[in-house]
Amino acid sequence: MRLLTHNMLASNARGAVTGYPLKLQVVKWSTKEAEPNPEFLRGMLPKIDWPALVAATQSLGLPELLPEAAPTDAELSAEGAAADEGSALRRLHRALLEIHIEEGTLVCPDTDRCFPISRGVPNMLLHEDEVRN
Amino acid sequence: MLGAQETVSTEGNNCSASVQSTPDIEKKYVHRVYDAIAPHFSSTRFAKWPKVAGFLNSLRLGSVILDAGCGNGKYLGFNPDCLFIGCDISPPLIEICAGRGHEVLVADAVNLPYRDNFGDAAISIAVLHHLSTDARRRKAIEELIRVVRKGGLVLITVWAVEQEDKSLLNKWTPLCEKYNEEWVDPSSPPVRNQSTTVLESISETDEDTGAVRQRNDNLKRSNDGLDDNADVTCSNSSNIDEHHKTQQEYFVPWHLPFHRAEISGASAAALENGFAKRDDRKGTVVYNRYYHVFVEGELQRLVAGINNAVVVDQFYDKSNWCIVLEKL
Repeated sequence: MRLLTHNMLASNARGAVTGYPLKLQVVKWSTKEAEPNPEFLRGMLPKIDWPALVAATQSLGLPELLPEAAPTDAELSAEGAAADEGSALRRLHRALLEIHIEEGTLVCPDTDRCFPISRGVPNMLLHEDEVRN
Repeated sequence: MLGAQETVSTEGNNCSASVQSTPDIEKKYVHRVYDAIAPHFSSTRFAKWPKVAGFLNSLRLGSVILDAGCGNGKYLGFNPDCLFIGCDISPPLIEICAGRGHEVLVADAVNLPYRDNFGDAAISIAVLHHLSTDARRRKAIEELIRVVRKGGLVLITVWAVEQEDKSLLNKWTPLCEKYNEEWVDPSSPPVRNQSTTVLESISETDEDTGAVRQRNDNLKRSNDGLDDNADVTCSNSSNIDEHHKTQQEYFVPWHLPFHRAEISGASAAALENGFAKRDDRKGTVVYNRYYHVFVEGELQRLVAGINNAVVVDQFYDKSNWCIVLEKL
């Protein structure tokens, strides 16, 4: 599971108010490098809940990876394709797309309901008694 | 997310069932079947349907595309300029997707675990016809709309009653609509009279029927034609109107070759408790999949009550009804 996906996931169980963001408890994670696509990342930026993304990286023990405040589109487009490792663009790319959570748990912030992540795949299915009326 | 709804009653009254509780007919004749047949099913799912391909290729660079009910992930990654996130209710099918490197999760299309407005587009390809009530089908459409951004597009395709090959419907087992209300009740069978005849085998009906039929040499359609008892499942109705209503509820068989069934392991138990049958002539374990096939206009009718989306395209293609919605 990439952190881009984590940024979208919400608990829909009975009792959840927003069910978002899910707290991340990571047992195993890995990095899979990929070529960054600046246009892609710029397009992604407006969708991202920045505090949730930052919190996720902190759960992984990477508090230095992302700044507290989101970069602007102007910043990202200025860096462009020539961006180096320390640039806002490369950091965003690493956080959103290169980090893969292999084993862990997603925890609903409202109900503490746990959703497992196993072999990189979250299972968000609810039991019958958790489904909202 | 929803307004208050009643939970399922012990009488199994369809009207009071919670939309999000999975009816028994779907657990038995959709979820369990796909779990058992996943690798074989996946091996027959390779042809990319041109209309879906066209839709995906029309989306702008960097779009996040949500595939709800992604199956074996046939369309995930199809447009390399977009990012696909797939979900399906079947863990074995999702495992196949994950094995191919796709970004996927196990989830229920009737209750997507996604926050609002994230996707640029969503697709639901041959999924809604596995949902057994109008309310659930509508809810699944509402979910697709909810999870895309304003201006985002949703493509839905479903099997049509109006099949290009009309003889196919004769090969499927029609389910009695009178028993609609019992489908949420685990103890009731969906078919009043268990036919004593063997289900007619059919070649696999895929969106791209030509390619799949050539592959399934051993599963050619039988020429036996209709059973004498073919209409026994609905013939006891005393209501004349039943005969004029279009039949939309069916079991459609899936033939799992014996060697595949052994690998799956689930088939031994399924045969033992009568959930699947052996077809020794074809060397397969036969499972039934539940379908509610759609009539012309039905998708439009479902969408009519949804006030934050409009229809931007609608068409019939290769025995499927299709619709494209735009979120307002």
